[in-house]
Amino acid sequence: MKSEILYPGAFPMVRVELAEGEHIKAESGAMVACSPTIDIESKMEGGFLGALSRKFLTGEKFFFQTLRASRGAGEVLLAPTVPGEIVVLDLDGVSEYMVQKDGFLAGADGVAIDSQMQSMSRGLLSGEGFFILKMSGKGMLLLNSFGAVHKIELKPGQEYIVDNSHLVAWSTTTTYNIEKATSGWVASFTSGEGFVCRFRGPGLVFIQSRNPGGFGAWVRQFIPVTE
Amino acid sequence: MIISTPNALCFGDEFPASGAPCLAHVEGHGLTMTFLPDADACGRRSESVPFSELTVSAGGLDHDQLVATWAGATGQRTLYLKNPDLIRAFRQAAPDRLTIPLERAAEQVRQVRQRRRIVWMLVGGTLLASVLGLWFGSDLLVELAVDRIPVEWEQKLGESAYHDFLARQEVMKEGPAVAAVTEMTHRMTDTIAGNPYTFDITVVKSDVVNAFALPGGYIVVFTGLMKKAENSEEVAGVLAHELNHVLQRHGLERIVKQLGFVAVVSIVLGNQQGLGGVMKQLGIELMTLKFGRAQETEADLTGLQLLHRAKIDPNGMITFFQRLAEKDDGRVEWFSTHPMSSARAERLNAELTDLPKQTSEPFTFDWTNVRASLGAQAGGSP
Ligand SMILES: [Zn+2]
Repeated sequence: MKSEILYPGAFPMVRVELAEGEHIKAESGAMVACSPTIDIESKMEGGFLGALSRKFLTGEKFFFQTLRASRGAGEVLLAPTVPGEIVVLDLDGVSEYMVQKDGFLAGADGVAIDSQMQSMSRGLLSGEGFFILKMSGKGMLLLNSFGAVHKIELKPGQEYIVDNSHLVAWSTTTTYNIEKATSGWVASFTSGEGFVCRFRGPGLVFIQSRNPGGFGAWVRQFIPVTE
Repeated sequence: MIISTPNALCFGDEFPASGAPCLAHVEGHGLTMTFLPDADACGRRSESVPFSELTVSAGGLDHDQLVATWAGATGQRTLYLKNPDLIRAFRQAAPDRLTIPLERAAEQVRQVRQRRRIVWMLVGGTLLASVLGLWFGSDLLVELAVDRIPVEWEQKLGESAYHDFLARQEVMKEGPAVAAVTEMTHRMTDTIAGNPYTFDITVVKSDVVNAFALPGGYIVVFTGLMKKAENSEEVAGVLAHELNHVLQRHGLERIVKQLGFVAVVSIVLGNQQGLGGVMKQLGIELMTLKFGRAQETEADLTGLQLLHRAKIDPNGMITFFQRLAEKDDGRVEWFSTHPMSSARAERLNAELTDLPKQTSEPFTFDWTNVRASLGAQAGGSP
């Protein structure tokens, strides 16, 4: 399986070459185009209940698509819904990443996708919802972001503070605490912002240069209100 | 050469920040890491470290990984293990000095997980109870939820609906009718100890015979209703009733009941922002908000008591309700939401006889003038 990012920048697309018999799991709706040798199957990762819990608890789409080169080698073109970068990670069988619900684009079949329940406080305050995706296993993992992706490399014990709405993915060797950025809990609750994650290394933290919620609020002000 | 799947991540100055995958082995004297060959390296490299040089702790996102650190030849090394078999082997082979703090850490992880499970169960239970409670119409839960909503929220909610409504009405800004309504309201609100509401009363020029209250203390009286009243005590009666819909937070109770699940969950979880959004959408529906029968009875009885406390003759309330109900030619809108029944009149009369007798104090205005200013014919309703 080989991948190549086309048109890097705000509107990228990724080309994945599949050998005969290979397949890739993609977020449903990510497939843009493919060779006629590729079959598209909808598959519920983690069984029906797993899919259901993802659907209701993370807001993730019910199905992942499986794109399978069952009738010969071929290629698929994948693209995320939002403008932003695509990152390719190569899972080595021991590194694991937590991915916020909109960050997953596609993964090789050896990549295991797990919905994980967070602690109550993380779920409430981190802005990722109560469930996040845990990626483990071996093979290619494609993540997408809103805006550009920035990789933060943390040495053991090194700390970094990230606004929770800019998080995309982070290694499970990191730890984090949720802190409020503004003074006063009331301000934090009413503004909906003001929560940050204090990460502690070692490991990687991928952040996105734009905040989807902030962008949504910015767009909304131009939408005429009808009664 | 055997290619194996790595089972540990090693961090150090010359390794990438994501850690170098390696194959860790526990041996009698310590740990051995075998690094897999990468593109530029020529082959497998191994490193060993005796137990005596290690410091061990629990780490990682869920504190379930074994973290071993030591001073390597090329600087500080940190190894992350999460494979259960490997951790077990480590615990068996390592000296007590290392395993005792590890057991303690493992115990802590177990406790955290246990606590997390309990929290989730409690929340799940609370949600389930809320759903069931609301499903079966438990007023207690609604009240509990309503109690948690600050008055300012209620005001914000009512305010937007109030201004939306008034923007499309002909508002009476001054004059005898406005002065009279203001005086009546103040007479009553002055008797309420610790009143958190600042009442805002507007007189709307309209032949509609109606009056209504919005959450947060916003009250609208139509001139149509005032024209039908033979004396000021009758209008005061309606006002007393409406004021109590506000004071008893009936609007909020209705909304919480209607929104049910979402609202309760939002309030319980402290997400009042989300609730505010939903409530704002409902703003316009507040106008057509119909209170429940229990709420109407409560507003009637507490309204009567309020009149009594304010030394306003409560008979006006009862006679006005009865007279309007008898003459109802289908144009008295207030009765579409406040149906008059003999039971309602009886309840009010019973409550009235229970109240100690007292002399009422008149208002400073002359009701005949007020009605005349509204263009009503003198001497009874038209
Ligand atoms: Zn009423």
